[in-house]
Amino acid sequence: MTTPTTRLAVKMSRITRTFPGVVANSSVNLSVVAGTFHAVIGENGAGKSTLLNILFGKYLPDSGTIEIDGEDVTGNLHQPVDSIKRGVGLVSQHYSLVPALSVLDNLMLGSSSTSAILSFRSAAARAESLISDLGISGIDLRARAGSLSIAAQQKVEILKALYREARILLLDEPTAALAPQEADALFLLLARLKSRGTTIVFVTHKLREVLLNSDSVTVLRNGRNAGDFKTSATSSEELLAAMLGTRMAVPATVKSPRLVEEGAQPLLELHRVQVRNARGILAVRDVDLQVRPGEIVGVAGVDGSGQNELAEAIVGTVGTSGGKMVLAGDDITTRPVALRMGAGIAYIPADRHRTAIVPSFNIAETYLLGHEQDSAWGGGVVINWALAHKRATNMLQQYDVRASSRGSAVRLGSLSGGNQQKVIAARALEAAPRLIVACQPTRGLDVAATRFVHDALRRAAGNGVGVLLFSLDLDEIFEMSDRIAVMYNGAVTGVMARSEATVAKVGMLMTGGEQ
Amino acid sequence: MGLLLVALFIGLSGYNVPQAFSALFIGATGLQLVPFKVNLFPLAQSLAQTAPLLFTGAAIAFALRAGMFNIGAQGQMVAGALATAVVGAWDPALLSPLHIVLCLAVGGIAGGLLGAAAGLLKAYRHVHEVLSTIMLNYVAADAADYLVTHGLKERHSMAPQTVKISQAVYLHPLVSGSGLNAGLFVAVVAAVGASLVIKYTSLGFRIRTVGENQEAAAAAGVNVPAVLTTTMFISGLLAGLAGSVLVLGLEHRYIKGMTGTYGFDGISVALLGGASSVGVTVAALFFGGLTSGAGYMSLQTNVPDSIAIVVQAAVVLFAGARTLPWRQRRQPAPVAKPTKGAFAPVDAADD
Repeated sequence: MTTPTTRLAVKMSRITRTFPGVVANSSVNLSVVAGTFHAVIGENGAGKSTLLNILFGKYLPDSGTIEIDGEDVTGNLHQPVDSIKRGVGLVSQHYSLVPALSVLDNLMLGSSSTSAILSFRSAAARAESLISDLGISGIDLRARAGSLSIAAQQKVEILKALYREARILLLDEPTAALAPQEADALFLLLARLKSRGTTIVFVTHKLREVLLNSDSVTVLRNGRNAGDFKTSATSSEELLAAMLGTRMAVPATVKSPRLVEEGAQPLLELHRVQVRNARGILAVRDVDLQVRPGEIVGVAGVDGSGQNELAEAIVGTVGTSGGKMVLAGDDITTRPVALRMGAGIAYIPADRHRTAIVPSFNIAETYLLGHEQDSAWGGGVVINWALAHKRATNMLQQYDVRASSRGSAVRLGSLSGGNQQKVIAARALEAAPRLIVACQPTRGLDVAATRFVHDALRRAAGNGVGVLLFSLDLDEIFEMSDRIAVMYNGAVTGVMARSEATVAKVGMLMTGGEQ
Repeated sequence: MGLLLVALFIGLSGYNVPQAFSALFIGATGLQLVPFKVNLFPLAQSLAQTAPLLFTGAAIAFALRAGMFNIGAQGQMVAGALATAVVGAWDPALLSPLHIVLCLAVGGIAGGLLGAAAGLLKAYRHVHEVLSTIMLNYVAADAADYLVTHGLKERHSMAPQTVKISQAVYLHPLVSGSGLNAGLFVAVVAAVGASLVIKYTSLGFRIRTVGENQEAAAAAGVNVPAVLTTTMFISGLLAGLAGSVLVLGLEHRYIKGMTGTYGFDGISVALLGGASSVGVTVAALFFGGLTSGAGYMSLQTNVPDSIAIVVQAAVVLFAGARTLPWRQRRQPAPVAKPTKGAFAPVDAADD
């Protein structure tokens, strides 16, 4: 390039943005040199997406200044149009194509070069030349956007931004929904864009992608800057240390060393389990994993690494496309959910509202769900509601659930999140399970409720129950697990005893770095 | 509100509003206030109109509990009526009460199977039940028309109808000359039974769970496709019984077009009555009274009885507005805090 000095495409200074109860960005700085590939990394909730959305005009910052191409635009970015006009394009995690329209229609939609009278011919010519310039293959301008694969839709999103003459392209975790080969193709395309002078700001939490593709890196942690690095002069260890902060130093001591007989027959055995998601992409790849009786196995991984699909496959709400699952010697691979639960699997789903709760149910009804055939719970062909309420009332006391005076007749929705979660945990724990599949069991809970759920899981393990704990929270994984398995891109990339695990080691495996 | 609108409508059309309304009231309830007098016949006619509406209303309300909108009560009713007419005309050398039960059972099952077909399509092929039941309405109506003009047609008759059923299975009028018969009791038992199933059985519990949150149901081990199919079978069964009772009590044969629009009117009954059997019963009584009262009104005051349809429509419109908040409440509560998402890559933009 001809510019001898490093011209900044983006300069965000002391950006603060709060949401009710959460400070998403606290005095964050971001400087991106024009024509470079700049990565923004951090754990879930570090504030990456918020920063991107502020730059794209979706959110107004509470304070701080923004410059685009040297022009002070602070307070002028009220909506995306304001950013688009200044040459900024965003490819978000949720694509914004109109499914029923053709690719060309989507490109023309909202573009300032589209005049009141549509000229499809000139638009098509422009789009075609853009496509051939970039060497993009497999995009038919006349195809309906909704009929395209996720990877193709993403290409169209990028095309859309370029069609609007974006010089600064923002991408928010663009590889999260892609298969590895598709991700490789994306990076090739981005490299070509960079060579044409486009500035790329890339948000991710996958270290490998950062090290292979970026020029410079900004690390965020808990909504604050945690370091700026030149990619060529840094290492995955250094980036990880910045992402995790002091927790890097967490010693690998086991609080309460618990002995699980090595020889004991495994309760749950997974052999090369494969799960395809709704789009047919392998979300779980050849996972081998064992849970022994009385053992808590923590599954760590960044969001979307296949944990959800694996948990659902074990419980049976999604089918597998390969492999074998054995529970206490019985092959359960193709058994329906109800039979697996009868065989001793209990489930605490990750998304409480979506998969655990029926909005209008009261506590007794919620507690009965899944046990409605079991006479000990008041179930059966005809439900014994008196017994169901009695059991629920006992549970409320035992699990210290704070409901109003109406007790088990209170609608579950009126309880606090922590109390709702206690009811759901109780429903699983009181089922006399042999294996508990617990997904994010303490998400959104306060300290007391979290401790309660943890203690309950530990007690169950102490009684010989196997626990498979999926969590995005590394602290929780380290506090709870006897063994730790790490998932990355749908595969289990490492399994280790808690005593051998360090945050650095697990963090490296989580982000696809080499050990 | 709806009634006010109708009063305005009658007034603007140049009729005497108080006179029309009092005729409507007497026709619907049989109660004459000044001087006080109870007329049994109009009351019986209203109750006769109520019976099929109670069946179809309960049928649609039942499917709604599983989150399904059964628009097919009309076709299920046709299936039930035709099946009952066939079995009723057959002489199986059974005691009359047993033969009646057999007629009802076959009619109910015929409607149930038609409903289950829509349930299966929904459960295993994701065909929306509104679409499939509407289409099955045509299938049922046209298949029945074909049968009563060809294979099942009464010989030497000009009309598209089956032969008369055996006198042994007639449901006789309870008030002479009226259409009121024991079918009303069957309807009440069926409607109450359906709501007991919902409230007190594990099947009903699963139906409610599926109706409100299919994912939670599946995660708890409920066989969602089976529940959807079963629900539509029971819903179709209730609608089929409406057809059975019309054949056994009123027409004594299947005649083309005999099922009127009870299947569609049942939608109004179910929506107005809401989830409870009491609500559905009250709504069926209201619509039944309105229909028969309108006939009486048009005789007495020359106000056309199509006014009753206007009243029904107006009432449903206003009831629909009332139903809206109830429907909104069924959506899952939004997550209050912008805490981090689940494992799914669907994240809020605040990470």
